[in-house]
Amino acid sequence: MKKIRAVMVGQPNVGKSSIINALTNARLHVGNFAGVTVEKKEVTLTYKEYDIDIVDLPGIYSLNAYTPEEQVSKNYLLDESYDVIINVVDANVLQRNLILTLQLLDMNPKMILVINMIDEVEKQGGMIDAVKLSELIGRPVVLASAKERRGVEDIIEMLIDEFERPDRQRKIYYDERIEEEIERLSEILLKSPKFISADMARFFVVRLLEKDPDIYKIVHDLPIFLELHEELGKSIHRLKLGFDEESAADIIANERNAIAKSLVMQCMQAPKKASLTDKIDKILIHPIFGLPIFLFFMWGLFQLTFEIGSLPVDYLDATFTNFANWLKQILPPGDINAIITDGIVPAVGSVIMFLPNILILFLGINLLEQTGYMARAAFLLDGFLKKFGLQGKAFIPLVSGFGCTVPAYMAARTLKNPKDRLITMLVLGFMNCSARLPVYVLLIAAFFPTTNAGNVLFAIYISGAILGLIVAKILRIVLFKGEPEPFVMEMPPYRFPSLKALGMELWLKAKLFLKKAGTFIAGAAMIIWFLSNFPHNPQLIKQYEQKIAQAQTKEQKVALENELAAKNLEYSFIGRIGKMIEPVFAPLGFDWRLSVATISGLAAKEVVVSTLATLYAVGDADEKSSTLIERLRQNIDFKTAIALIVIIMIYSPCVAAMSTFYAEVPRWAWRAFYTIYPNVLAWLLAYSVYNILALLGY
Amino acid sequence: MKLSQMHIGQSGIIRKVRANEPIKGRLFAMGITKGNRITLLDHTLKKETFEVDVEGTRVALRKEEADAIEVEDEKD
Ligand SMILES: Nc1nc2c(ncn2[C@@H]2O[C@H](COP(=O)(O)OP(=O)(O)O)[C@@H](O)[C@H]2O)c(=O)[nH]1
Repeated sequence: MKKIRAVMVGQPNVGKSSIINALTNARLHVGNFAGVTVEKKEVTLTYKEYDIDIVDLPGIYSLNAYTPEEQVSKNYLLDESYDVIINVVDANVLQRNLILTLQLLDMNPKMILVINMIDEVEKQGGMIDAVKLSELIGRPVVLASAKERRGVEDIIEMLIDEFERPDRQRKIYYDERIEEEIERLSEILLKSPKFISADMARFFVVRLLEKDPDIYKIVHDLPIFLELHEELGKSIHRLKLGFDEESAADIIANERNAIAKSLVMQCMQAPKKASLTDKIDKILIHPIFGLPIFLFFMWGLFQLTFEIGSLPVDYLDATFTNFANWLKQILPPGDINAIITDGIVPAVGSVIMFLPNILILFLGINLLEQTGYMARAAFLLDGFLKKFGLQGKAFIPLVSGFGCTVPAYMAARTLKNPKDRLITMLVLGFMNCSARLPVYVLLIAAFFPTTNAGNVLFAIYISGAILGLIVAKILRIVLFKGEPEPFVMEMPPYRFPSLKALGMELWLKAKLFLKKAGTFIAGAAMIIWFLSNFPHNPQLIKQYEQKIAQAQTKEQKVALENELAAKNLEYSFIGRIGKMIEPVFAPLGFDWRLSVATISGLAAKEVVVSTLATLYAVGDADEKSSTLIERLRQNIDFKTAIALIVIIMIYSPCVAAMSTFYAEVPRWAWRAFYTIYPNVLAWLLAYSVYNILALLGY
Repeated sequence: MKLSQMHIGQSGIIRKVRANEPIKGRLFAMGITKGNRITLLDHTLKKETFEVDVEGTRVALRKEEADAIEVEDEKD
C-alpha cells in the first residue's frame, strides 16, 4: 500500500464539500485544525493499492489571506507536508477561480485541477476543453459535477497519476521583465541553505514582490535578508517604472488576470448568459421591495416554526405521559422507579416535544444559506447594519445565531476586523437560539391565545435582534471607536438546494438533539430530581401522615398531601438553594422554583423547561389531570411570565456557547465583560418590564 | 467615471482601483481588476450598497469601495 496525502483547495462555494460527499467508499472525519476552532474535514479512502487521505481546507479566495479562516488554509499550504494539491474551481466563474490556481502554480506543485459544476455550464450551452487547458497549465484537468456524480472517480485516478508522475513542468510564465526580476532575486534566496529547490525560491520571490507579510516573516530571519531586502526594493522600483503602476503587487495581479482571461478565451466556450439569478435578484433585492420581502420571509419562518412545529406536540406530550405511567406500573416501586418515571422521562419528554420546532427553524436557516438568499439579505441589511456599527456580513453569524450560538460564534470569523468581530460576538447572544425555543413555546402556549402564538414568537425574536443592534451601537460608540471594516462580498448565484444535503443536515441535527436530550438533559434532570427529593424530613412526614389518616373528607386529604409535598420540596436541597437565590429574583416576581429553573438554563436552555416540569410536578399530588402548561398558569402570573421571557432572551447563553466564546476571544477583560454584562442587563430590563406591566394593571 | 456614478444596467471597463491593501487584494480576488468588464446590477435605495457583475461574478460592495473604482464607459 502506498500512501498519498492530498489537500483540497478552492475558493468558497465551489462545491468542495459536495465533491467530498460524492466520493464513494470514503470515510469522513470532522475535527479541528490544530490550535484553532476551524472545522477540518478529512476523508480517507482506499483505491487500488493506494491509501488516499484528503484534507479539505476552508475556502480561500486568494493567497493574500483576508479572513482568519483563509489564514488557516494558507498556513496549511505553506507549512504542512502533502503530496498533491487538488484545486477545485467553479466552471461558471472559471476566470476568477484561475487566479488562485495561478497563485498555487507559482509553487510548481503536484496538482490537479478539478473544474466542478460543469453541468451548469453545459446546460447553458457552454463548453470547456479540458485537454487544451491541461496542456496550457501543464497539470491534469478533470471536468466534474458533484451534483451528477460526474468525474468524481476520475479525480482519484488523476490524483494517483499525478502522484506517480516524476516530472513537473512549469508552463505558466509572467511577462519577461517580471521573470528577470524573479530570477535575480531567486539566486539570492538560493544562497541560503534553507532553499534547496528553485521552485520554492521562485514562489517565495513572487510572494515577496506581492508584499506577503507571512513570507516576509520567514525570510526576515535568514542571513541573506539584508542583501535580499535591498535587491527586492530595487526590483520593485524597476517594475513600477517599467509598467507605470503603483506597486509590484498590482503588476502581478494584472498579469495573472490577463493570463486567466487568455486561458478562458482559449479553452472555454462561454455559455449564453444565464439570467435566472439576475431576474430573481431584480425582485428580491429590489431597492424598495427588497426589505419588506425579507421581513415577510422571516415572519413566515417563525409562523411555520410555531404552527407546524406545534402540531405533534399534544401527541408527543400524551405519549410521554402514558409511557411514564406505564413504566411506573411495571418497575418495582421505590427510588429508582421515581427517579425514572418522575424525574428523567418527563424531563426528557418535555424537551423532545420541541424537536419539530427546532428542525423547522434549522431547515429554514439552511435553506436561506443554500439557496444563496443569505448573501442577499446581507446586501439588503448592510446599510441598516452600518448605522449600528456593524456590516452586512455580520448578518450571517447573526442569523446563524437563531439556530445555535456555538456555530454562530465561529461564523463570525468571516469578519476580518477584530473590533467588528468582537462587537458581533458580544451581541450574538441576543439572537435567540433554537434551544430557547422550547421555553418560549411553552410560555406562549401557557399565557397567550393560540391565534397570536406565531406573532408573539416573531416579536420575541425581533426584539432580541433589535436589542442586539442597540447594544452593538452602544459598544461601537463607547468602547470601539473607529470605522467598521469595508464590505465586499460575493453574491453566489441562486441554486436549487440539494435535498440530500438538506436531509443530511436535518438528520444530523435531530441526532445531535436527541443525543443531548438523552445524555446531558437527562443528566441535568436527574440531578435536579435528586436535589428536589432529598433530604427527607422524617418528622415532618410522620406529622403529616397522622393528619392525613385523621382527615375526614377526601378533599382534606388531597389538600394535606399537597401541603406535605410542598413542605418536602422546600426542605430539599433544591428548596434551600432556591430560597437562597430567591431574593435576587424576587423583584421580578419569581418564586424560588422559577429562580432555580433560570439558573439551570445556564447548563442548556432546554433544561429550563425540564426543570420547570420537575419542580412544578412535585408539588402536585393529582398527577393525571394537569399538564405542565396548566400548572404554570396556576403558579405564575402574566407579568412574571413576561419577565422570565425577557431574562431568557438576554442573560448568558449556555456553557457550550460561553466556552466557545472564551476559545475565540483570548482577552480576559473581554471574557469577563461578556460573562457579566448580559446578566445585569437581563435583570434590569426584566425588572422594568415587570413593573411597567404591574402599573398597567396586569 | 466612478462606479458609484453609474446607473443600473450600465457597464464599462475598469480603469483603476484606488483602494488600499488589504481591501485591494480582496477586490482583485473577486475579479475587480484593471481591464475587466463591470456592470452595475443594482443598488439599495440610498445608494449605500451596490451589486455589480464582474466577468460573471456578482459582488456586493459599499459606496466607499464603489467610489474607489474608476470605470470607463464602453461607448467612449
Ligand atoms: N449544479 C451543481 N451544483 C453544485 C455542484 N457542486 C456543488 N453544487 C452546489 O453548490 C453549492 C456550494 O457547494 P458546497 O459543496 O457547499 O461548496 P463548498 O463551500 O466549496 O464546500 C451547494 O448549493 C451545492 O449544492 C455541481 O457539480 N453542480
